[in-house]
Amino acid sequence: MSVDRMMIRYPTLVAAATAALLALPAATAAPPSPQAAYTAMSPEELADYLIFEAGGFDLEAGTQTGGTARERMVQDRTQKVCSAIARAGAQLDRATAAKISALADASIVLPEDGLKLGDWQRGEAVARSGFGYRIGHNPDDHDSQPPGGNCYACHQLDPNETAYGTVGPSLTGYGRLRGTSEPMLKHTYQILYNAHLFFPCTTMPRFGHHGTLTPEQMADVMAYLLDPESPVNQDLPQTVEADAAAQD
Amino acid sequence: MLRLTLCAACLAACLSTVVLADSQWRAPEEVLQALIDDNESAYLTQSEQNIMMMPDNAALWVAEEGAALFSEPRGPNNVSLETCDLGKGPGVVDGAYVELPRFFADTGRVMDLETRLAHCMTTIQGFSADDPEVKTRHGSDSDMMKLQTFIAYRSSGLPWNPPLEHPLEQAMRDAGEALFFRRAGTSDFSCSTCHGQSGKRIRASVLPSVNEPHEWSKAISWPAYRVGQQEVRSSNHRIRGCYWQMRQPQSISGSDAAIALMSFWTDAARGQPAILPDKKR
Ligand code: HEC
Ligand code: HEC
Repeated sequence: MSVDRMMIRYPTLVAAATAALLALPAATAAPPSPQAAYTAMSPEELADYLIFEAGGFDLEAGTQTGGTARERMVQDRTQKVCSAIARAGAQLDRATAAKISALADASIVLPEDGLKLGDWQRGEAVARSGFGYRIGHNPDDHDSQPPGGNCYACHQLDPNETAYGTVGPSLTGYGRLRGTSEPMLKHTYQILYNAHLFFPCTTMPRFGHHGTLTPEQMADVMAYLLDPESPVNQDLPQTVEADAAAQD
Repeated sequence: MLRLTLCAACLAACLSTVVLADSQWRAPEEVLQALIDDNESAYLTQSEQNIMMMPDNAALWVAEEGAALFSEPRGPNNVSLETCDLGKGPGVVDGAYVELPRFFADTGRVMDLETRLAHCMTTIQGFSADDPEVKTRHGSDSDMMKLQTFIAYRSSGLPWNPPLEHPLEQAMRDAGEALFFRRAGTSDFSCSTCHGQSGKRIRASVLPSVNEPHEWSKAISWPAYRVGQQEVRSSNHRIRGCYWQMRQPQSISGSDAAIALMSFWTDAARGQPAILPDKKR
């Protein structure tokens, strides 16, 4: 809900909240008491109110990109729609899926000088690093090291790495199965840029759309996934076992 | 080397002198073992070491210190917290924590344990909100963690049962659910990205699922001694850590957003026994 709409519907509440916010101490807050107005809002409206008007978060802190933490909490259309569907436990209907996918399509910018595989070794570093963009009590300093893609948080990649997450599917042998044709490069780049194109409301972060990975980093990660030399594509005896482990 | 062996049951005897004979209170290690026996869960069993060391949980010492603090006359008013109403009447500690957050008529707000404690320390004992006794929220040495751990301990084994009769309790729980599923930020994360499916891992960490009440009961069992940090930590500390991982702004303890999130997460564990205090990675 916009602040303007809040003002119209709950003028006194907003005034009280604003007064309380001005006196907000750094770590703890005592929001104003007229919670009665809370019951007039939808859960989503109240959640937004608690975030933006009732001191739920330290919104004024800076971010690595020069903005404020507040911007991190403002949802775009894809985030809003996908959150509501997940909360309702609903199936994504075809029309909504098509809309989310179209938004992703419109967001994707392919490199002007064509798609190329980068350096798989640099790509491996990106895939392993969970550094970057964290704020709050312990902000990541991007001057100390570049932000990574945190792929291992959710995916298995190198079959010899045991500390891999299972929120996403195993990508072990990804290139071995798919080759390095032009359409395959494009397909992979699009997934890294904005995976909602093929998987509407996926939980995979939109690395290109948010600019959290640069085009060079995405080309390097593509090499880690697709280059026949990459450990991801080595035919190791462990692979079968690891694949099986990733299934459960 | 001198090794301190703590017996939760012995501590129970000194900490829970007013526990009623028919109480459902159970030592935290027994609660965890029963959950493991009754459920197949990689999350519950992921740290054999922690399960074995539960009876030696350093958080039990912190609870004991909290028991002493609770009954000691303190603050400018030189009175104890024994008249503090944690929701079940003045001075009632047993079973109070598993019924929080709840609506308090005297403040007109839904409050969690931390907020309610701060309220009692300021209104009854006369501390100011800026006194370190009230303001310092983190660390085993803080009054806040000692008191929270003691109060929570006296709910060990009891089923989570936050009231939802008051319209504000329901509104806060529902807003908390919206917060839990709310994607935002540079990684599009919501809590449900990592805690919405069963049997998943982030890197090597096994994730508790909000849809598996027996897992979620352990997940929300705070205060807990975090072995990696060697400190007793609170729910608010965990929320702050997860928002940090999510690349979203710092969550503020005592804010209605944090309380709403706890209202939802406690409701999600409803009926399952609390493990208090817990021991976590
Ligand atoms: C928060 C978890 C998460 C992170 C982090 C993540 N992904 Fe994913 N990824 C997923 C999920 C979930 C899917 C499955 C798509 C779906 O159905 O939603 C996926 C799908 C994919 C696919 C397509 C697989 C296929 O079968 O076609 C590729 C390729 C991929 N991810 C690569 C990466 C790379 C490279 C990174 C790091 C730069 C990464 N992912 C980071 C969750 C994640
Ligand atoms: C990027 C993944 C991720 C997101 C998003 C996330 N968490 Fe977590 N959460 C974790 C991990 C990893 C742990 C530690 C689990 C372990 O040690 O086994 C954890 C632990 C927890 C625990 C305690 C369980 C334990 O054993 O330590 C709770 C409760 C929790 N998270 C709640 C939340 C809430 C609420 C949110 C949203 C504000 C959230 N999480 C968002 C990854 C995440």
